[in-house]
This record gives sequence, C-alpha cells and structure tokens, in this order.
Amino acid sequence: MDALSMGLVAAMGALATVAGASEDIESDVGSQSNPNSQVQLAAQVGNPHRIYNKAISGEPPANALWATTAAVVAYTLITKFAMPALFAIAVGASVAALFNGVFSTSAYFGRNASQRRFNQWIYLDIVRYTTPSIMAHAWITAFCITCIAYIQTQILMPHHPFPMPVIAMIWGIAVGAIGSSVGDIHYGGEREFQWRIFGQGLNTMLSGQIVRKAEAGLRNSIDNAWFCAKLGGPFTGLAFGLVVFLDSWRTTVFDPVTQSGLAIGMGLFFVILMNLYNYYVETSVRRKYGPYPGYKGDIPA
Amino acid sequence: MNFDALTIVYILEIIVGGLLVGVGVHFVPVGGAPAAMAQATGVGTGTVQLAAGSGLTGLLAAGLMMSVTDNIWPILASGAVGAMIMIDATMMVGGWIYAYAVGAPFASAKVNYDPITGYSQPPYVAPGTVGQGIPTVSFVSGTIGGFMGGLGGALIYYPLMMINHNPSLSALFAIGIFLVNAVLASWNIQGTIEGFHDPKFKRWTKAFRSCLVATLILALVAVTITGGA
Repeated sequence: MDALSMGLVAAMGALATVAGASEDIESDVGSQSNPNSQVQLAAQVGNPHRIYNKAISGEPPANALWATTAAVVAYTLITKFAMPALFAIAVGASVAALFNGVFSTSAYFGRNASQRRFNQWIYLDIVRYTTPSIMAHAWITAFCITCIAYIQTQILMPHHPFPMPVIAMIWGIAVGAIGSSVGDIHYGGEREFQWRIFGQGLNTMLSGQIVRKAEAGLRNSIDNAWFCAKLGGPFTGLAFGLVVFLDSWRTTVFDPVTQSGLAIGMGLFFVILMNLYNYYVETSVRRKYGPYPGYKGDIPA
Repeated sequence: MNFDALTIVYILEIIVGGLLVGVGVHFVPVGGAPAAMAQATGVGTGTVQLAAGSGLTGLLAAGLMMSVTDNIWPILASGAVGAMIMIDATMMVGGWIYAYAVGAPFASAKVNYDPITGYSQPPYVAPGTVGQGIPTVSFVSGTIGGFMGGLGGALIYYPLMMINHNPSLSALFAIGIFLVNAVLASWNIQGTIEGFHDPKFKRWTKAFRSCLVATLILALVAVTITGGA
C-alpha cells in the first residue's frame, strides 16, 4: 500500500458514486427504469401522459453499451493518436452520449407511436428539451466509468490485466444492475405512485394509474429527475461507490501477492457485516411501523 | 492443439463453473418491475441483470488475482468475495429505500415465517401486494447466490486463462459462458424468485440439466477456439 494507490482507490470510489447517481437519473428522466411497464401501461388504461418512454432494453446492457463505446474511443485515441487521457475520455464520452441520443429519440418515437390507438401523443417539446438532459447524464456516467477503467488498467498497481473496454463493459453492466435495483424503488415506489398510503407497496389495483400532475402543470420527465436527484440517485451512487471502493480497497491495502488471504478475509468481513446490518434494519423497521392495520389472518405479528 | 488429460480437466472446470452460475442464479432474490414498486419481495431488477452484475464484478476481482498468482484457490475465493460484495451492497442500499423512503417493512409472501429469523410474514405484507423489501432469508440467499456466481465465473476464467494466457480473450469467453447460463436459469425462474425458500426454487434441477448440456458444448468450443489460436 502506498499513498498514491489509496488516493486512486478513493478517486475511483468518488467517480463511481457520481456515475451511479447520474446513471439512475438518466434512467429516470428517460423512464428506462423498471416501472417503465407502468408508463407503457398508463395509456392503455386511459391515462395518456407526457412522460418520456425509452425502455427498449434493460439498463445494464444499455449502460454497458455507452461505457464500452466511450472506452473504445478513448482507448483508440490514447494508444493510436497519443492523445492526453482526460481529453480522450471526454471525447469518448461525447461519442457515447451521441449513441444515447439516437437510442433515446428513436425509442421515444417508436414506443409512443405504437400507442396511437390509446390516444397517446408524441410531444415534440418533450423530445426537444428532455433528450439533451438524458444525453448529459449518460455523458457523465460514461466519463466516470471510463476514468475508473483507465485508472485500473494504467495507473493502479497491480495493473488490471483486462483491457479498458472490457472493464468498462463490466462496470457498465454493474452500474445498470445497481441503478435498476436501488434507484428504481425511489422512482416507482415514491414518485410514480403517490396516493398510496405511506408504508404500503403498490396495490395491484393501481397498476397503470400513474401520477400525471406535477407541482406546476402536467408532469413530465424533468419533474421526475428533480425528485429522484434528492434520494434515489445519490443512493444508487452510494451503492455503486461502495462496490467499487470496497472491492478495490481490500486488494490495495493488502498486497494481493503476499497477503491474498487477508484481502479475501477482509471481503468476507464486509459481507458478514452487511448481512447483520440488513437484519438490524429489518428488525427496527418492523418494530417502528408494526403490522398492517387491516390484517385479518390468524398468524400473530 | 493437443487434447490431453489436462484439457479434459479444464473442460470439466468450465462445466462446473457454468453449473454453479446456473444454480446460483436461483438463489438471487429478484422481483423485477413489481419489486421496484414495492409490489413483490426481492430486488427490483431482472434475474440476468443482477446475476451478471455481481458475477462479473467477481470476475474482475478474480482477473486481478490471477495476474499476480497461478494458485487456483485465492483466485476462486477472490471472485466469490467480489461478487458477494456487489450483491450485498446493492441489496443493503436498496433496503434503505424500502425501509426509509417507501416506509415498508420487509416481508415475504411465500412463507408464513422467515426460516432464519422466525419472524412472521403475513401481517407485514401490504394489501394487494405479494410482499416487499428484502427480508433476512432473501438477503442471505442472495449472498449465497453471489458466492456461487462469482465462484462459477472465476472457475470458467481460470482454465481459459491457463490455456491461452490472454486475459481479454479469456474474460470475453467467460462473460459469454456466464451470460448463457444466467439466461437459461432465468427462463426456468420466469420472472421473480425470492430465494431458497421460494417454491420455485425446487425447479433448479431443470436448469441444472439445461446448463450442463449448454456448458458442455460451450466448454468444448471455448477450449478449442481459445487454445487453437
């Protein structure tokens, strides 16, 4: 362990936190999150809306595509054209954002056009001012993940043996999986359905009954981003940051050549700690909130 | 290339790795879109996505370990631990949102009592849903799933790397074999599963057989292609 390596691991954790946050907000603005089925369903049950709808693939493969595109472009510029790394990564992220723009607009037009029979309109103003926001968030995600891949393969000791684009692809899949698992609960459970009783999940009866009115006027996807940036995005960033930081920290503090046992043991310690912590959260929440008032079964709480 | 006894051992290792991935996916508590709206127990994403996310994080850890040592045990352990860290961090932070943002206690609708803590479940299942959050049994099950996924990924990567000594080629083949097994297992699960206490878990033998056939073919192809170059 040396000071530079620890600084690099800290930087990777910070970059991952930003990448996770921007990934979740990107998917919330574009409604590529899990509750997208409700956005699609809403028009069919009689609620046409102004929410962006671009879920034509899951978040993990989509983010893997953007991160890998950025990494491939950056890697080419660095190795073949001797461009400075930071500049090359920025160019790579810009190319990835362009890919994202094509993906977003074609998905929006395709999905909403297919719902014409349910009176769902295509809103050109939504495309015009929401798409740049989606692209900007994708740029941040691609930039941060490519930076992490660059640090892991070029600077951090020992260098990671995988090439930069493969690492970017793996982290892209991971950030998508985390954004989909963590951030979507805040978007779906908190933002799309707000008239359910606090403490309840979404009743099946409410499927498709998404909230369509915003604080001022009709709800659109920018309102979703405004809300999700407060908790869902940062928590996603926290989860991805924890993954990148804890996983790199244990092999940086303990030399993998001579202290591999300690590095693995430290990882196991983190895992046991998180299991115990989840048990604590479950117990404390059960104690604080209690059983549902309307419960009629014969099993005691 | 020579098809000697060592090659057969490598093929067997890849097959065992693939089977570990296929069975491990059944342990991961996944609720898909309903879970993202606190309508079902588990993590709010798809089976393949979460399994791939955790298993491939494990592959990164295993790859790093393999660049400094040839000893198989630290490589496998590192892969398994990396995957467990990923899946646990995801479930833990997701649990915070269920607990403190949506405000729902964790509950499973598939069992009356949590097999690990003994807590009663039905009184805490919100009306009109099939549970929400990640109760202890699902969390532990997810950790086991991450362990098996990471171990499987590392066990696929190790023999490929021993044959061709090319990390990028081996990593890409490992990712491919990993995803095939994860997708096969997901077809078996059909959407959502809560962990090893879920009745659907009993179907794992079907996935085991399919993964065995698929990985056998993939192992032969992978060993031949990557070794013949």
